[in-house]
Amino acid sequence: MTPVFVEPSPALPVVSVVVAFRSGSAHDPHGREGLGRITARMLRRGAEGWSSEAIEQTIDLLGGELGVDVSPSATTVHFEVIKRSLEPFMDLVATLLTRPLFDEHELARLKREVEAEIVESRDSDAMLCSRAFRRTLFPQHPYGRRVGGTIPTVRGIARDDVAAFYAAHYTRKNAIVAISGDVEVEEGHAIAERLLAKLPDGAMVPDPVPPPSARPGRRLVFVDKPDRTQTQMIIGGLGTHASDPDHWPLVVANTAFGGTFTSRLMNEVRSKRGWSYGAYSRVGFDRQRDTFTMWTAPAATDAAACLDLQLGLLHALREEGITADELAFVKKYLVRSHAFEVDTARKRVHQKLEAALFDLPEGYHEKQIERIEAVTLEQANAAIRTRLSEDDLVVSVVGTHEALGEAIAKAIPRLADAQVVPFDAE
Amino acid sequence: MQTAALSPSPPRARKGPYAELLNELNRDRTPLAQVEHDATVPFGPALRVERFVLGNGLRVLVVEDHAAPVVCIQTWFGVGSRHEREGKTGIAHLFEHLMFGETESSPHGAFDRTLEEAGAETNAATFLDWTYYHMNLPADALELSMRLEADRMTKLILRDPQVSSEKEVVANERRQRVDDDVDGAVSELLYKEAFREHAYRCPTIGWMEDIKGLTTEDCVAFYRTYYSPNNAAMVVVGDVQMKQVLRLVQDNYGSLPSATIPLEDVHPESPQTEERRLRVEKPTPTQKVAIGYKSPALGDFDHAPLVLLNEILFGGRSSRVHRALVQQKELASEVRGWVGAFRDPALYDVFLSARGEHTCEELIAALDEVLEGVRAKAVLPEELDKAKARVELAVLQGLETVSGKAEQIGFYEIVLGDPGALFERLAVYRRVTLGDLLRVARRYLVTSARTVIEVIPDGSEDDDEDEAEGEEAEEAAS
Repeated sequence: MTPVFVEPSPALPVVSVVVAFRSGSAHDPHGREGLGRITARMLRRGAEGWSSEAIEQTIDLLGGELGVDVSPSATTVHFEVIKRSLEPFMDLVATLLTRPLFDEHELARLKREVEAEIVESRDSDAMLCSRAFRRTLFPQHPYGRRVGGTIPTVRGIARDDVAAFYAAHYTRKNAIVAISGDVEVEEGHAIAERLLAKLPDGAMVPDPVPPPSARPGRRLVFVDKPDRTQTQMIIGGLGTHASDPDHWPLVVANTAFGGTFTSRLMNEVRSKRGWSYGAYSRVGFDRQRDTFTMWTAPAATDAAACLDLQLGLLHALREEGITADELAFVKKYLVRSHAFEVDTARKRVHQKLEAALFDLPEGYHEKQIERIEAVTLEQANAAIRTRLSEDDLVVSVVGTHEALGEAIAKAIPRLADAQVVPFDAE
Repeated sequence: MQTAALSPSPPRARKGPYAELLNELNRDRTPLAQVEHDATVPFGPALRVERFVLGNGLRVLVVEDHAAPVVCIQTWFGVGSRHEREGKTGIAHLFEHLMFGETESSPHGAFDRTLEEAGAETNAATFLDWTYYHMNLPADALELSMRLEADRMTKLILRDPQVSSEKEVVANERRQRVDDDVDGAVSELLYKEAFREHAYRCPTIGWMEDIKGLTTEDCVAFYRTYYSPNNAAMVVVGDVQMKQVLRLVQDNYGSLPSATIPLEDVHPESPQTEERRLRVEKPTPTQKVAIGYKSPALGDFDHAPLVLLNEILFGGRSSRVHRALVQQKELASEVRGWVGAFRDPALYDVFLSARGEHTCEELIAALDEVLEGVRAKAVLPEELDKAKARVELAVLQGLETVSGKAEQIGFYEIVLGDPGALFERLAVYRRVTLGDLLRVARRYLVTSARTVIEVIPDGSEDDDEDEAEGEEAEEAAS
């Protein structure tokens, strides 16, 4: 009923377990953004027979690590433990997963912690840039919301919300388990059964996320922060879907453009001009189409020129595509470096987990090499023209607006909309 | 000396586990290319490091690990920012960037492109005591990778345009990691204040004005001084055969001469007798404190107990400082501590970030109360057990990949001269007693020998209520 994947590896006396649920922040009710993440974090704040303090003491005493991660489409509860402590650790995690208390006092304390973390996160320019980009690209869409919520939404979350979210999503039918490390296959299945035994069957929760639509026009979102000597910059739009017929051609084309240390983008921005320490592009996907992004961080004095250069590179990529040499190179790179995607038991089992969790097409990982090898130049360049837009584009910038705002706006021809937001807006 | 190196050396009778193999490999090789087995060092229960030394002084550390068809090659050099001179800070790190450039046999850009085409990934890092170069490669790219790695050890070509461009890259790296990053800026300031004499006072990335002033000639001189086989340890971990590795090492490194590495002009830090305190303003939402207590060198008897004490204070949510400052008093949003792992005595770094309107003074007072607790009385036995378990898990987690293993071997070889020291430390951790923790608490958590940096928001952020309204304000604007 619950898919369970096990990858044994006796190399180290450590066992790694991921219990994933097919629900994430996209399932947060409107006005209660951050609920999924709060629910996951409340698991370790008290369970049947266990106080929050006793849970933390025991986790550390047993030589274990327990964490939770929430993304728009998934929640994972994961732990790693030295093999000799597996049994008692498993008992503890099984109780946390299936018998949480959601104590009012603990919830209030966690909400105050989360609020402080939200304030603290404003120190990270990279995070501010990414948030502004997604907010602008996906307005009114679950992919544009902050996974952890905002201060007002977190303040509004009540115990009943947490209990209801838990009851709806933490079920056997909504779960997938991945185990790797010092366990045999049968042992792994027994671990999964023990962890989930007391969860109700429930039902697989449907994904509420509609396919995102492109926002027409070129939009600038400028996050204003004082004293910036450097400019975090993300340029992009909608990307790919794993089921797209041109998914692999686009992945290959993007790798040639900005996916490696010697790709076109890195070569032009860093190697030739020294403008940014890093320069990468990425096509990401979720259960729905996600983003295509170019990321750089030039000095404030180079930011407008760097933006102009990147828009030019994107234009050239769409007009002329990648070259036959670039295609040949990147195919060799992707095929030969594939060994590092499967060199540990953890990576192998995570591929299986990812495929199940994100409903990836049959053989997505297993046939990756042959699909990459089959990509032709025509397919790669057609995918670029079909999927990457120059007209519908979001430019997100973190900098000091007074010094840079005008130059950045001027560097974007045909700019349809520009907004300036303070860095502490969210 | 170098002339003699051109003549084959007469065969020598050898003993030991690799006698036959080495006799075969060394036949008709020059003295520089003769390889000798130096030691077998256990590396955990299942693996072992075989250490060899080439005639030119290159140390070669090999771990055969056939779990996956991948290999990691790391070349560690015994040079870091501690070897820099005033006014030339940042050169070790800038030079590390330049090592990916042109050589006598390979044009600019070819190094990375050729390796990426072979499916390999490269990187490098520089710190106070060391610099290392990293390659992750599919097993069938071993020969190519070693050829390129050996090539750049002594045959790099430096030209002004590339040096200028790379200085820009490094300046941008500095902006990203230090100038526009509160944590980075505060950490830099902490070391600058805590050290008056030792080279650890200067940041590895270099002061911005020094980076801008570095010349191609500076870089060439640095290269000629520190980059030679006898100042390096090469670590090879993965799906390799010993004979194949050693033959490739002889073929590619056997003609490189050794060099005279200059004596290091070390200035040990004088004992600190008064607390140093500095206050800075930054565009940050809340107050923050960075504290540096003087800490022992990595090879010191006290280092392992202090690492365990740090776990008891800062490791995990059940640690004393986390419980007191984050959970009970709700003064801090983040607390962390780290015992420096350096060749010379350095700092035990503590970082505290206040919540809301709480102040540096409150944070320091609450921390002092916790520290007084571990100075006054032994910690509980279960706290020590917990710290040992956490450290053991962290060690094991770091050994999952070939690069994780190579990094541990290379680090301990270059800093302590012992590639298996990681596992010896595990044994040491197990032997640490409650008395050891009491001793290190009293010896190192000394208020009069600490340096404190207080960070105050510069007023650029609005008050809390406005923050809460921000989302709506932004929606309205768009």
